[in-house]
Amino acid sequence: MTLFKCDSQIPEREKHCYIKAPGEDTTQYLPSADIATIPGTLSERGCSYCGAKLVIGGVLKDAIQMIHGPIGCAYLTWHTKRYPSDNDNFQLKYVWSTGVKEKNVVFGAEKILKQSILEAFDAMPNIKKMMLYTTCATALIGDDPKAVAAEVMEERPDVDIFVTECPGFAGVSQSKGHHVLNIAWFKEKVGQVEPKITSKYTVNYIGDYNIQGDSFIWNDYFTRMGIQVIAHFTGNATYDECRSMHRAQLSVCNCARSAGYIANELKKRYGIPRLDVDSWGFNQSAEALRKVGAFFGLEAEAEKLIAEELAKYAPKLERYKAGLKGKKMCIWTGGPRLWHWTHAVEEELGIQVVAMSSKFGHQEDFEKVIARGPMGTVYIDDGNELEFFEVIDMMHPDIIFTGPRVGDLVKKVHIPYINGHAYHNGPYQGFEGFVNMARDIYNATHSPLWKFAGEDIRNIPEVPAAEVKEAV
Amino acid sequence: MNEQVETIVEYIQKRCLWQFFSRAWDRSENINGILTKAGEIFAGETPSTSTEADKCWAADAKILVAEMKSAFPWFKSLDKSKAKELLDGVRKRMREIAIDKSRNGELNIENY
Repeated sequence: MTLFKCDSQIPEREKHCYIKAPGEDTTQYLPSADIATIPGTLSERGCSYCGAKLVIGGVLKDAIQMIHGPIGCAYLTWHTKRYPSDNDNFQLKYVWSTGVKEKNVVFGAEKILKQSILEAFDAMPNIKKMMLYTTCATALIGDDPKAVAAEVMEERPDVDIFVTECPGFAGVSQSKGHHVLNIAWFKEKVGQVEPKITSKYTVNYIGDYNIQGDSFIWNDYFTRMGIQVIAHFTGNATYDECRSMHRAQLSVCNCARSAGYIANELKKRYGIPRLDVDSWGFNQSAEALRKVGAFFGLEAEAEKLIAEELAKYAPKLERYKAGLKGKKMCIWTGGPRLWHWTHAVEEELGIQVVAMSSKFGHQEDFEKVIARGPMGTVYIDDGNELEFFEVIDMMHPDIIFTGPRVGDLVKKVHIPYINGHAYHNGPYQGFEGFVNMARDIYNATHSPLWKFAGEDIRNIPEVPAAEVKEAV
Repeated sequence: MNEQVETIVEYIQKRCLWQFFSRAWDRSENINGILTKAGEIFAGETPSTSTEADKCWAADAKILVAEMKSAFPWFKSLDKSKAKELLDGVRKRMREIAIDKSRNGELNIENY
C-alpha cells in the first residue's frame, strides 16, 4: 500500500492507495473501500440520495420525480446527467420538489408533501407513477413519506408511488443509495406487473442507464437477435417494465456495483441467472453477445450481428488507433468503469491506463480492477484532490476520464479531460460507442489548444499596430 | 503443470467477471459450475443444462473454452485427463484467490 506525500497528515489514507507490483495479487493487497471518508480529505464523493435518485430512479422515463426536501436537493439532480429517453426526454425536462423551508423543519413537512404530490399528479394528468425521495432534512425531522404515499394511493387508486428512504447521510457514498433503491424496488415493486411476452427469449438488461443512448444500442442488439428485453434497469425504462423483471429468463448485468443487488435478488427468489458482461469495447461487447447467444442457443444470430457491427465500425476505429497508441490515461470515476474500461482501451487501442480512482466502489470492484489492470498502475479508493495532483506529477497522463468537478481541476494544469460519467459525445457502449469513445480521446489528446493554453502570453512581444493593420 | 495453471488463472483473472460475484457462495457456485462445464465441453461432452443456472454456467464455459483454445495452442493439444488435472488446479487456485484468501470484507455478509 502507498502513502502519498500529500497525505502525510492523514496517514489513514495509506490503506486506500495501492500501486500494483509484479508478483502481487489481491490476496496480499486490497484497498479499503466503502468506508467513511477520513475527515480532512478533499473527497469527491457524492451523497447516498444522489446514488438513488441521480443514478437509478431518475432515469425512469414515465414517472414524476418528487424530491421531499429543500429545493437545492432537486436542483443538483435536475438535467445534470445525460440519459435520454424515447418519449421526448420527459425525465430530463421535469423535476418536482416540496421546497422544504425552516418552518417545515419546525412544524413538520408531511402536509406540504401530500399537497405537492397531488399538485404534481394534477399538473401531469397523463402520468400515473411517481418516484418519491427523502432527503437529509426531511429524514431528520422524522417525516413518514410512505404513510403519505399510502394515503394518496388510497385516495387515487390509479396512481402508484415508490418511496426511496435514503437521505444523503444514510451511507458513506452514492453506493448506499444504489443499495437501498435496488432492495426496496425488488421487495415492493417487482412481481406486480405481468409483461406481454413477445419472444421465446427474454432478458433483463441490468445496470445500464442509457447514458447518451447506451441502452438504445443494446436494445437494438437484443432485438436483432430475437430477444425481448423485459426491462432495462433503468435506462429508457418505464416504471411498469421494471415491475415485471421477474418474467425474464436471464439477467444480463452490466453495472454490478449499482445494480448487482437486484440481479442477485432475482436469482435468489425467482431463479433467474445473472450473467455479468462488459459492454464497452469491441472484443468485450462481442464476448457479451456470444455469451447471451450461447445461453439461448442463438449463436448464429450473435455471430451475424457481430460481423455486421464489425464491418460497419472496425474501419472507423482504425482511423483513431494509430494516434492513440501509447497515450497515458487515468480513469477517475465511480467504480465499475475502472474495470470495464482498463482492459478494453489497453488491448484494443494500445492506451496505457496509469491510474484509477473510485468514488464509491467496494472491495469487490478493486478485486476486479487490480486483477485486470496493468503493473505499476495506481489504484485509489475515494481519491482526494491533492492525491490527484500528486498522481499527475508521477504519471504525466495525456487524458483523464473523470467527472466535471475533477475535470475542471485537471484542465487548469492543461490536461484534457473527458466526462467519464456522462460522456462527451456518446454513446460509448457497444461497437458504435467504442468508436465514439476513441474519437473523443483522439480529439482531446490531439487538440492544439493544450499547447496554447500553457503559453505565457505576457512575454510575447507586442506587435506594432501598423503591422496588424497590414496583416488584416 | 503449475506454470500452465498460473497462465490460465492469469487469463481468467483478466477477463472473467464471474469469479468476483458479490458473496462467497456466489463465487463458489460460479467457479465450480463454470469450470466443471468447461471440462465437459473440452472433453467433447454436452454439458447438462437442466436448470437455468446450468445454462448460464454452460454459456460462460463455452466462451471460455473457445477463447482458451484460441489464446493457448498447448491447451488444445491436452488429452482429457491432463485437461481435467489442469482445470482442477485452476479451480483450486481460483477458490484461493477469490474466496479463501480474499481480503474482501463483504464476502460473507448474510444479505446482499
